[in-house]
Amino acid sequence: MTDLAFLAFAFVTVIAAILAIEARDLVYGAVSLGVSFLGVAGLFILLDASYVAAFQISVYIGAVVVLILFTVMLVGPAKGDGPMEFKKASLFGAVLISLMLGMAGTLATTTAFPGREVCGSGCDLQLLSTTLLVDYGIQLELLALVLAAAVIGALTLAKAEKKE
Amino acid sequence: MVAQGIAEIFYYLGFVTVSTVGVVILLFLIISPRDPKPTPEKRAAFESGQIAVGRGRTRFIIQYYPYLLMFVVYDVVAMFLFAWALNIRSLGFNGTLPVAVFLVVLMVPLAYALHLSKRPENW
Amino acid sequence: MAILTSPLFFKIAVFPGLTSLAIIAALVTWLDRKITARVQLRIGPSYVSPVGGILQSFADLIKLAFKELIIPAKADKFFFVAAPVIGMILAGGLVGLIPFSPETQIANLEVGLPVFLAFLTLSPTMVLLAGWSANSKYPFIGGLRSLFQQTAYEIPLWLSAIGVVMMAGTFDLLKIVEAQSTGWFIIPQALGALIFLITITAEMERIPFDLPEAEPEVIMGWQAEYTGFLFLAAQGAGFIKLYVFSALFATIYLGGFLGPAPVPGLVWTLLKTTVIIVLIILLRGSFGRVRIDQLLRAGWTLLLGLAIANIAITYIIIQGIPSI
Repeated sequence: MTDLAFLAFAFVTVIAAILAIEARDLVYGAVSLGVSFLGVAGLFILLDASYVAAFQISVYIGAVVVLILFTVMLVGPAKGDGPMEFKKASLFGAVLISLMLGMAGTLATTTAFPGREVCGSGCDLQLLSTTLLVDYGIQLELLALVLAAAVIGALTLAKAEKKE
Repeated sequence: MVAQGIAEIFYYLGFVTVSTVGVVILLFLIISPRDPKPTPEKRAAFESGQIAVGRGRTRFIIQYYPYLLMFVVYDVVAMFLFAWALNIRSLGFNGTLPVAVFLVVLMVPLAYALHLSKRPENW
Repeated sequence: MAILTSPLFFKIAVFPGLTSLAIIAALVTWLDRKITARVQLRIGPSYVSPVGGILQSFADLIKLAFKELIIPAKADKFFFVAAPVIGMILAGGLVGLIPFSPETQIANLEVGLPVFLAFLTLSPTMVLLAGWSANSKYPFIGGLRSLFQQTAYEIPLWLSAIGVVMMAGTFDLLKIVEAQSTGWFIIPQALGALIFLITITAEMERIPFDLPEAEPEVIMGWQAEYTGFLFLAAQGAGFIKLYVFSALFATIYLGGFLGPAPVPGLVWTLLKTTVIIVLIILLRGSFGRVRIDQLLRAGWTLLLGLAIANIAITYIIIQGIPSI
């Protein structure tokens, strides 16, 4: 049953991602991206990480896709460039990327991630929270700085454009 | 092993989707009247009686764009706070200090945004 | 055939699932019209039926089904139809997470509360798409206003719910109710509950936050071009949300199905939900409309600040009084 669910979610993720790139009307592309993120959230659920799935849905689909949609609608009555022509260079690029992903996948499945072990469905969330805050506290602060810089930068840009 | 309850919510959503879409299709095809020769006025955009001129998607409220950006960032902040809130009884000071610093650091851009919003020529 | 008689199917199809959801949504619509009318010294629906026009919404439902569906010539057909329908499905899906009583809950997720709030975050996307798809000025402006309003009030909503998670120590909605057996969370979380109430009223675009549908300004906002069944979907989603959010409020602040014994838990939940629904409806008759810049500023400053203050206060309470 989980295999079937995995196949379904993976299929949705990949097909929606392809549609997101190839769609002629950018709004359809942005919505396909949202569907692809839904597929990823489903994969998180299958990995027993429902909190991350909720995080994914609310941040990626709820915020990032909305921002992309808003920007796309802003840019204009966008029909995109049309389907891409096949070039020799893109074949080379496809081979290279497949090699890279293959290497990354092999590395990921043969070595273990550092950190605490899982402890079943009851205390997993507690463990997640402790690990995130205690073990990775410094990284959390760095993340806060990055986010703060992003917001201040965006605000400054928005302010500068109205200056004239 | 997938968390319990996920399967039920999917069944429920599937059932709701199928029945809603089924009802919509049923209604469209069977009950609602269809006009064989719609006049152009019927399908024109509504503009309180006048003929719509210009693009339908105009007048962007662009000056509130920073609010959307802040939403993205503070959505992430809220999710991290959820992770923290789960465990405060057993975390003690070690776990709460990073979160307190996190919040303080992220209140700075908020204060900046509000300072900017005070002056109407900004946004 | 066994599937049709299984308890899960009963929960999904009848109660608290689809059938009862549809009936309750219709009743909530009626309640809204009746109470608003009485507050405004009118009578409200009174013709259709035995008492007080209670079948009015069902009559409206039948009427709307027979209306012609007009899709504007320049509209994007797919999203025009899909967006309100998906919005309604999402709103209806939320009912599955609420613990009406320990036995009548469709799905008890270990991460119930974040999933509930995550589904909520999908609603601005649907509204934006609906407003954009009509390719007409009023819906588009209304859709944008709605987007900004909903995203502004979403963050204080999340933060006030965090206060509840702090007190209960779990995301599981059933356990949150059970954790209130020593005292409903609305007492230590009074500030949080108030913020929650205000933000859910804003999320549902109800008065005083109905700027996206402000009739003198944008006709019906993003719903302006919808007729027939799609209009029903757009409006119905609002009333389903009213029901579901009030049920969530009752679950996380008012102790859900807890209550003195002879009355079954289910009845307690529905009773508390009804109290909150009536409260929100009364707000409609009591307040004027908030202007958009006041609305956004209030959401991002006042409510956000109060929600963070609530988190700080709750933290101090928990550290200070170990028994809670």
